[in-house]
Amino acid sequence: MASKKPLQDNSSTSPGTVVITGTSSFKGSRLLRELENNPRIKNLVAIDKHKPQFSLKKARFYRLDLTETTADAQLTEILKKEKCSTLVHCALPITPPRDQAYSHELISVGTMYVLTACAAADVKKIILPTTTDVYGAFPTNPNFLQENLHKPKGDLLSKFLADCMDAENQALSFSKKYPDRIVTILRPCTILGPTVQSFKTRLLRRFFFTTMLGFDPLIQFIHEDDIMAAFHLAIFKDCPGIFNIVGDGVLPLSRVLAISGKFHIPLPQIGFKTLVQLLWYLDIAPAPSSHVNFLRYLCIADGSKAKKVMGFTPRFSTKDALLSFVGAERLREINLIELNA
Amino acid sequence: MNSNNRPNVVPLKFSFDEKSHAENDRQLFKDLAGRIEIRLDKLERELMESIQMLESDIQKAVKSKKHGDETLVKQDLHQLNHILESRLQKTLKLLSREAASGSREQSETIEGIRKASSHLIKLLSFDFYKTVLDRLGNAEYTEEVDPFGMDKRLLEKIKPILDFLYYKYWRVTTTGIENIPNEGRALIVANHSGTVPYDGAMIKAAIMNEHPKRKDARFLVENFVYHMPFMGNLMYRIGGVRACPENAELLLNSEHLVVVFPEGVKGIGKFFNQRYKLQRFGRGGFIKLCMKTKSPLIPVGVTGAEEIHPIIFKSNILAKTIGLPYIPITPTFPFLGLLGCIPFPTKWAMHFGKPISFERHGIKAIDDELLIHKLSEQVRSEIQNIIIDLLKKRRSVFMG
Repeated sequence: MASKKPLQDNSSTSPGTVVITGTSSFKGSRLLRELENNPRIKNLVAIDKHKPQFSLKKARFYRLDLTETTADAQLTEILKKEKCSTLVHCALPITPPRDQAYSHELISVGTMYVLTACAAADVKKIILPTTTDVYGAFPTNPNFLQENLHKPKGDLLSKFLADCMDAENQALSFSKKYPDRIVTILRPCTILGPTVQSFKTRLLRRFFFTTMLGFDPLIQFIHEDDIMAAFHLAIFKDCPGIFNIVGDGVLPLSRVLAISGKFHIPLPQIGFKTLVQLLWYLDIAPAPSSHVNFLRYLCIADGSKAKKVMGFTPRFSTKDALLSFVGAERLREINLIELNA
Repeated sequence: MNSNNRPNVVPLKFSFDEKSHAENDRQLFKDLAGRIEIRLDKLERELMESIQMLESDIQKAVKSKKHGDETLVKQDLHQLNHILESRLQKTLKLLSREAASGSREQSETIEGIRKASSHLIKLLSFDFYKTVLDRLGNAEYTEEVDPFGMDKRLLEKIKPILDFLYYKYWRVTTTGIENIPNEGRALIVANHSGTVPYDGAMIKAAIMNEHPKRKDARFLVENFVYHMPFMGNLMYRIGGVRACPENAELLLNSEHLVVVFPEGVKGIGKFFNQRYKLQRFGRGGFIKLCMKTKSPLIPVGVTGAEEIHPIIFKSNILAKTIGLPYIPITPTFPFLGLLGCIPFPTKWAMHFGKPISFERHGIKAIDDELLIHKLSEQVRSEIQNIIIDLLKKRRSVFMG
């Protein structure tokens, strides 16, 4: 932690070479664009299986598939060659992939490769964004889940959440093994905004929404701009640990649907999971049945640690984030903006 | 066409003398009929004129061409004229008869048909189903909620029900309400009874109605409620929070009044012969909470709630399959079906005791299990004493 002193007055120093893995994912591509336009960052490296869809000005792109068995050696080479000091691991998807084996290779094993490469190439800071869904929705959850009090329980059935938890655990044990490195785990809640695409936005884009009869859980959103602000803080400041990145305030699910103007069908809980699993196999439901619990029970994270330690204050509240998403949806409906814009 | 067989035209006139409503209406109808008559007359005349003009035109045309079949055309025209005339007269007669009778029944039936059709349209429309489904999904009454899920609008809506139960049904007499501080945090510890936990709602109603400044009592709700549909949801909306130390700590730290029932399910599921005997007070978590958050503890005793649903027998095996802690068998439930769910209208009494402070023990006492158990027993005996005092004053279960 030789660089800690100048980093504390973080106005003039640059974080060195920043690597972003998974630049074709939503978070990765957004972050790459933001950092391209940031004059404080001199060197930028983008790593992904596919080339970014926009032209790069200062970033150098390397093609690498994290599911390959030689990924760690290749990545070490790239990191050493570029003398990287900060790595943002954006390759974790926010939508559960249909191919469970690929998903496991990418999330769990891919993170292992990245961490071994970081250990070998002496990368000082690793930033790993996951999701608050790893806490899992349970009737025994307290109203606000805190990073240091509550361990993520995920869901016994959800392979996707189990892989995400595994990635987090690997990062935590890495930080224990190398105490001089900084490992920041960001846990954003459901991301909404004008450009984001995930299984949750896919659900909200539908004509109707199936809810559970008699359950109306509270829901939290964060705007995509706030996520980028959190990334900036994590890159330019030293804040090791886990942080919940959430918007202010909560909304009941019924209110969310009323604001977004969705027609919703309450279904009884008997047979609901089986129905969703069936629809997931038929490629109609956007998420497997293990995510059904999020329609039933609370999963709300407490964002006060990020406020206190990182100095992160969300610009958009939960309602603002939803309104910005819904506004963009309306413009899309009348073809004023494109889907991928 | 002769104008003699037309009905008499009554000039439009509003009469303000003491006529009955029916007569007045009939007059109005007659006036209207007259007006329609005049207009129809005009139309008739115009039609006749135009037909005559046509006739003459055709005659001219036929004459100029000098083909001799004028008589045939003339006959046809005459026939047409006749048909038109008779038709017009028929409709006029019908109209005038209807107008003259001016029946209220007819207008009522028309109105009825109109209403029914509008209802039918409503039933067939998509929006109707949407609102019905929204209501089923509780979308109606969840506008904005606070971070713990309380909906003030819903609370205002159900306040009349709480007030009815508080003032009329159980006629609660509350004493010692001044022991609740006007501002700042406080933990209210109460005895739990009554099979269905109405006592939490009544303590909330007591604070809302009797205390001059406080309106915001939150209560901690048993875990099992949140497994059930509708119930858990409703509890969140009216200010209940799942009973766990994290939630209670957060609420107290944000200067709320928090109501806890340390007896838990053991308290509400007591048999009738064990009434007013306080059960074990959890593991003293509420004492630790008070020490941690430095909040005063206010003991509360509630009487009358034990007799609303006297439990004779409990079925545990059946309950476990549904996810409930127990299914009570009372004198009325389940023998009277839904009627058995109505609680008995007993007379309730409630007393808020003097606040107890644990600050003199210091923060380190949290780890002293023996002390905490002793303090918890103290609080229990305090509440037991309040209940005994209240029971001494009571002469009858139903009349107080």
